[in-house]
Amino acid sequence: MKPIIIIGAGHAGLTLAREIRALDKTVPITIVSQDPIQAYYKPNLSKALSMNKSADQLIMKKLGALKNDLHAELFENTSVLKITHEKKSIICQSKGSDNKKLETFELPYENLIIATGASPIELPIDGAFGNVISINTLQDYALFRKKIKYKKQILIIGAGFVGCEFASDLTSNGYQVDVVDRTSWPLEQAIPEQVGIAIKHTLSENGVNWHFQTTVDEINNDGLGGLKVQLSNKTMIKPDVIISAIGLQPNIQLAKAANLSSVRGIVVDEYCQSSANSIYALGDCVEYDGQPLPFIAPATLAAKTLAKTLTGNKTKLVLPPQPVAIKISNCPTLICPPKTKEGSWQINGVDQDLEAAFLDNKNELCGFVLSGKKTALKGEYLSRC
Amino acid sequence: MSNSKVWQCLTCEFVYSEAIGIPEEGIPPGTAWEDVPEDWLCPDCAMGKDDFAMQEVQNESSFI
Repeated sequence: MKPIIIIGAGHAGLTLAREIRALDKTVPITIVSQDPIQAYYKPNLSKALSMNKSADQLIMKKLGALKNDLHAELFENTSVLKITHEKKSIICQSKGSDNKKLETFELPYENLIIATGASPIELPIDGAFGNVISINTLQDYALFRKKIKYKKQILIIGAGFVGCEFASDLTSNGYQVDVVDRTSWPLEQAIPEQVGIAIKHTLSENGVNWHFQTTVDEINNDGLGGLKVQLSNKTMIKPDVIISAIGLQPNIQLAKAANLSSVRGIVVDEYCQSSANSIYALGDCVEYDGQPLPFIAPATLAAKTLAKTLTGNKTKLVLPPQPVAIKISNCPTLICPPKTKEGSWQINGVDQDLEAAFLDNKNELCGFVLSGKKTALKGEYLSRC
Repeated sequence: MSNSKVWQCLTCEFVYSEAIGIPEEGIPPGTAWEDVPEDWLCPDCAMGKDDFAMQEVQNESSFI
């Protein structure tokens, strides 16, 4: 019997394997990952300083434990070069270690699941290469911790989910943080101005220096081991370390090369199936209704649903409203992104304790943001959504 | 509370302790897992209670 092959061992891939195994004890499962295979909770990367955890301590399960739990064949540090749908197989290449050569091999599949995730968008700025880090994997995180050791001054480019959480985590742990973003308030793409201003104030009190409505023009070495960053509003910043958090792009190269339909992410139907038979896609590499949803909850739910389909119980994916929690010290925030852009925000509350309801043109609640003490209203809002 | 149990989310490792509850979400200390509302969502990863796979971890009292 040919196996179910999962490409990618991030949250989506490993959750799918776990859910398949819970439903079917015998179906063969193979996981191929270009990274080391270990389970960790990616949202913790931007909170781990406050959790007092190192990169290693963030690992929830290592290769051996996963192998045991999943009864799966695991190929780590192995790239997939090509999908051949006519033959229902993939061509893999394991990365050679010091004394091992690159090895290429073919694996046949019964069903193939692409769960290749998303990668940080590279900064198109002079001097960025080698001077800017993005933190999207556990290995990135380990490098980041090495880089900030004995340093003080951090510049974060991007004031979205990841940028704001890192700003909070770093300032709460004694670092001086500047944040640059071309928008006008934190999380501008997801929340209304009034809530954004509240978060901005809270993080300012924590020590964050904001630079909104401006961009980075140039990055140079200052000749003394530090960096010089010129902003387009003429401000000069001298950080020790620069983090780029300007967003993710779905990893669709493999799908594209196999002629699967993709736009921003891999296009899937309501059964998580791609445009080709027996090939499915899951998690951050996918777009749902034209929109990537790079969050844990939709990936988990998609994995659970697809596991049913793959074990013989064809099930449609229905994504309910799922709030995303953002950890900002002194101002926890919950965002349940509106499903439509047509409508308007209605905001109540004072200071940082705000509730913002997004009402569509029929006056129905279709998204919300809760901050500070108002996060306690989560249940009530969800039941109305 | 000698039978108080601790549950952990499989996805994000959020810990629910029956002894502590989650007072800020209106779940008072001493609330058994089965009495946590069915529409409750994990505060960290937002998965629901039944398809969320909280697993019982070591019973607190058994450490003693």
